[in-house]
Formats: sequence, C-alpha cells, structure tokens
Amino acid sequence: MKRILDNDFAAMLVRVFLGFVFIVAAVDKAANPNAFAVSIGYYKLIGPDASLVIATVLPWVELLCGIFLVFGYMPRGSSLLVLLMLAVFTAGVISGILRNLDISCGCFSPDPAVGKIGWMKVFENSGLILLSVFSLFSRSERTTVSVLSHSSPEASDNAKKATLS
Amino acid sequence: MVTSDISKFTLAVREAIVIVLASAALGFSYSFVMKKGLFLPPTPLIAAPQTVVPPEFISYEEAIKLFNEGTVLFADARNQYDYKLGHIPGAVNVPLKEFALHTSPLANTPRDRLIITYCDGEDCNSSIELAQKLSEVGFTKVRMFFGGWNEWQQHNLTTEQ
Repeated sequence: MKRILDNDFAAMLVRVFLGFVFIVAAVDKAANPNAFAVSIGYYKLIGPDASLVIATVLPWVELLCGIFLVFGYMPRGSSLLVLLMLAVFTAGVISGILRNLDISCGCFSPDPAVGKIGWMKVFENSGLILLSVFSLFSRSERTTVSVLSHSSPEASDNAKKATLS
Repeated sequence: MVTSDISKFTLAVREAIVIVLASAALGFSYSFVMKKGLFLPPTPLIAAPQTVVPPEFISYEEAIKLFNEGTVLFADARNQYDYKLGHIPGAVNVPLKEFALHTSPLANTPRDRLIITYCDGEDCNSSIELAQKLSEVGFTKVRMFFGGWNEWQQHNLTTEQ
C-alpha cells in the first residue's frame, strides 16, 4: 500500500482521470446554472434560492478542481474538495433513491433526460471516492505543484534542512 | 510523521479554501456577465414565437376544468404497465423512455392541440421531460399537470382502466 502511495505514475494517472471526469461533469452545468438549479431542486433537499447559489458556484469548483488535478496544481486541496463533493453527491443520490424519487442525477448534465439516479450511480461514485482518497493521501509530489506549499511548516522545515546541508 | 500529516492536511484545507473562493468569484462573475443564474433578468431576453407557449405547470383545478371542457388531450408519461392499471379518462400513453413521435399516439395529432402531460406526481419528472420533448418536436400548446396521477386519484376524480 505504501509503495502504491509513493508511486508517481499511479498518482498522476489517478489525478488526470479524476480531473477529466470533473471537467466533463462541470462544463455543461457551469454554462447553464439555471438548468442545473432545477436539477438540484428535483432532490427536494433545499430551497430554490439555495439551489441557485449552489448551481452558480459548484460547477466552477468542479471545473477548477478538474483542471488543477489534470495539471497537478494544488493537488491536495483539489483532491479534498473532490472527495467532499463526491460524498455529498452520493448522499444526495442515496437519499433520492430511498425516497423513491424518479429524477435525473444532474451529475454530468442539467438535462433532465440524462442519467436517472440509481444504485449504479452510487456504485460509480464509490469508485470515484476511492480514487479521490488515493489522490488525497498519495505521497507522490514529483508531478505536482502547490502554490501554498512554500509557506507550509513542512516545506519550511525541508527548506531549512536543505540550507543546512 | 504526525506533524507531517497534520501539515499536509492543513495545506489541503488551505488549498481547498483558495479553490472555493476562486470558483465563487468565477461563478458569480460568469453569471453576472452572461446574465444567467442569480442574475437572470426577470423577463426572457428572447421572446418566444407568439404561437408557441412554453410548457408551464397547471394545478389540478385547471386540469379538471380543461378535462370537463373536453378540448384537451392528456398524455400519460408513465410506462405501459402503470397506464393499464389506471389513467385519466381519454389519456393516451406516451411512455417517456420509449418516446419517438412517429410511433407515439400523438403522431397524427395537430401540433396546436392543447396537450397536458402527467406522470405519477411530485416524485417524478417524466411529465416535465415529456412536455419538453413534445415542445421540441413542434407541439405549441403543452402544459404539465405536476400533481399527476396521485393528485387525480386523491381528489376522487374519474379514472379509466
């Protein structure tokens, strides 16, 4: 397990895959926030105003995370957000299934005719959750860049050690 | 090791906050510039052609009124099994999942006929999807009875099998 977490190639592969999935999922929704707000409304968990605010911001979080994962930029933050989003999406889908809602997922498109919710969607999301956990805990840093890492305590320690040696 | 993990987690949280803030800025800016989402004008920018009325919801009172007038055609978006168990009298079955205009009972229906779509009720959106599809293929007067079959039965209205 430790070896896999240290593997640069596996880490990059997972990041790029997750990144592409989130970019594809985000584009249509980012371009059509009103339609996406309607998709969120189908779940009957939050009101129309909150749906609209979420529909305005969430696709852009997906898009930025996707792009950043593909390019290895701020990978830990992107992986953490992807994990959180997937957890919330999956909880929403399960809640919809348990309430017998016959609705579209709204996962990849705001089009109501695309992708009904179901246990298959939960299964797919579970796979993506595993990949995002791997990406979050991956120790490979050779193919990534983090603008904030220079100010992290660990980075400062490493810089000091490098200076001393 | 523990310190390292904590610092990595702190870094992840800080990066996540930066990404969320940047996304919010992008999302609100895009919506503002494109006049979408929260910034959508109250009236549509492009008026629909006068003969085309976009699908809108109707209450059961309106549905009954139109039903009693006898000029409306109900389109049941549920599957054939549910339709056979019971449906609004006179309704035609147009299962959403198999929708194709040339094979549907609406193939020879005048495109300006008033059509009301419905499905089970508030827990389904097949009626909305069917209404959208019917509008797309040229029907100009489509309405959605969102209360659907459940509300029709609750009000002890006549049914047909």
